[in-house]
Amino acid sequence: MTFEAFAGQTLAGVSLGMVWFLIAAGLSIIFGTLKILNLAHGSLYMLGSFCCYQVTVSLAHVAGNFWIGVLVAPIVVALVGGVIEVFLLRPIYKAEMIYQYILTFALVLIIGEACKMIWGVGYHSVQVPWPFQGSIGVFGLSFPSYNFFLIAMGPLVFIGLRTLINKTDLGRNIRAVTENREMANALGTNVPRVYTGVFMLGAWLAGLAGSLWPPVSVVALGSDMAVVIDCFIIVVIGGLGSLAGAFVGAIILGLTTAFGLYLIPKLAVAFGFILMIIILLIRPYGLMGEPE
Amino acid sequence: MANGMNRISWLGTSPRNAFMLAGLVALLVLLPLFLGQSWLSITTEMLILALAASSLNIMLGYTGMVSFGPAGIYAVGAYTTGVFMEKLGIGIVPAVLAAPVMAGIIGFLVGWICVRRSAVYFALLTLAFSQIIWTVVFQWYSVTGGDDGLVSVPVPDFFFEITNCYYFMLAVVSVCLFIIWKIVNSPFGMTLQAIRENPNRVEFIGVNVKHYQLASFVISSVFLGIAGSMHCVFSGSAFPDYAYWVKSADMLVICLLGGIYNFFGPLVGTVVYTVLTKVISEYTMHWHLVLGGIIVLIILAMRKGVVGTLANYWANRKSAAA
Repeated sequence: MTFEAFAGQTLAGVSLGMVWFLIAAGLSIIFGTLKILNLAHGSLYMLGSFCCYQVTVSLAHVAGNFWIGVLVAPIVVALVGGVIEVFLLRPIYKAEMIYQYILTFALVLIIGEACKMIWGVGYHSVQVPWPFQGSIGVFGLSFPSYNFFLIAMGPLVFIGLRTLINKTDLGRNIRAVTENREMANALGTNVPRVYTGVFMLGAWLAGLAGSLWPPVSVVALGSDMAVVIDCFIIVVIGGLGSLAGAFVGAIILGLTTAFGLYLIPKLAVAFGFILMIIILLIRPYGLMGEPE
Repeated sequence: MANGMNRISWLGTSPRNAFMLAGLVALLVLLPLFLGQSWLSITTEMLILALAASSLNIMLGYTGMVSFGPAGIYAVGAYTTGVFMEKLGIGIVPAVLAAPVMAGIIGFLVGWICVRRSAVYFALLTLAFSQIIWTVVFQWYSVTGGDDGLVSVPVPDFFFEITNCYYFMLAVVSVCLFIIWKIVNSPFGMTLQAIRENPNRVEFIGVNVKHYQLASFVISSVFLGIAGSMHCVFSGSAFPDYAYWVKSADMLVICLLGGIYNFFGPLVGTVVYTVLTKVISEYTMHWHLVLGGIIVLIILAMRKGVVGTLANYWANRKSAAA
């Protein structure tokens, strides 16, 4: 493997990992607080992609249309998430796990089909936005600058979330509810509102990832399950409910996927799963998770 | 949690229930007289699907293990029969018999790792393994035919006549279901149900819970393998889709539709699911939307599934009359 290929795969892997991190972080926070494994998280990501694409098309002649999409799409997805939490998830928190799985699976079907009805089955593309069309030279090699932007987004969101959870009132409430729901409720925390807030935050992150990824790839149906399965691997590697775990897991899986695709493209899909199985066997609660 | 125990033996051995069962069997035997070719073919497929769902329910409903990967094992059964016949030229009898053995072996290896973890982690591990099986099937062109699948499995002419095929499947599925019925109602099956209700207490009275869960996983795998093998014989083909997560989700939804705390739940679920998808897809292209809506409604309003809800209704009526 040449140095050029090595650097290229590393860059691709980390930028993919950072986008995954945004989704996995939401998945992990929702699981940590609501104790629900949201199978439809990938669908929220896909919805974000389509919404952002829609904005770029509708405002084709407006300068900075992509950035308007990045602003609007996650908010739309967060609102959809809020509706889902209030009307569908609230009645089943006390039900057994299987019902929660199947309900969120039904949402995968509904959101997927809705996207198909609105945007059709074709591939859509989104232009790489200003000011990131160019390349940046590193060690005499040149790489697309948009990838560097994506890589910067990861730590930015990570620090933002850490600050939100550790320093703000909302974060204090989230931690209280995660720690002990009944006690927080008894002490006057509005638990249902925190649940809705956390779910909307997770949905917003998925929507943000969905808006940012299309310039590198395409907007198409089917990305929902592909993404959510990758994010499951990430949160399991890192430890369910751990933000730092999601960050580390995302980078590990991103690199594994990028190098796997380069070295043994045929089995690249299986690498992530094999990694997850190995980690589960040697560290049952993930790299950063804590035993329940 | 404690809502399953008393209801699982519903349709026990009272004369009325035995009469109902005899009626059902008679109906299934006479069915080819009334149904056209295409509906008979759909019914045959339903029988196979019902066996697969019942196999899954040994884990899901009886042992309380939520598996996301039954399709992987199902595909192992289908591909074992398919590869043996098409690539190795082995006769149908050993090829079919090899399927449950292979599925049992793979089920043991996968289960051995999966039962070490519980709840969410168990579910995700099973999903991971089924995706690995899917990848192997998809990529191993020389053996599995890759994404083209196996399309010319040399099934004997006997099975080309759909009525023959139907009776054969009816016999196989009935025998398998009878064995499953015997297993889940044996002391072993009772232990599985106790594990579902409270694994800690069962562990405390000296039962090795992990061993029982692994046994449940392997038994479930063996029957899933038979179901997969039967589908290969029925269609003369095998495709990577068999191992895909969508197929697992189908099976889970079927169990849930019918009701997971009842032996007959997956059977009723299969009928309801198949008819629903056929009917809905005739009216609209967007049947996923309708199906998703129906699943949401069931979970919000009818959580015990069709059979569970009816059983409750009858139980209430009986106690009201008494």
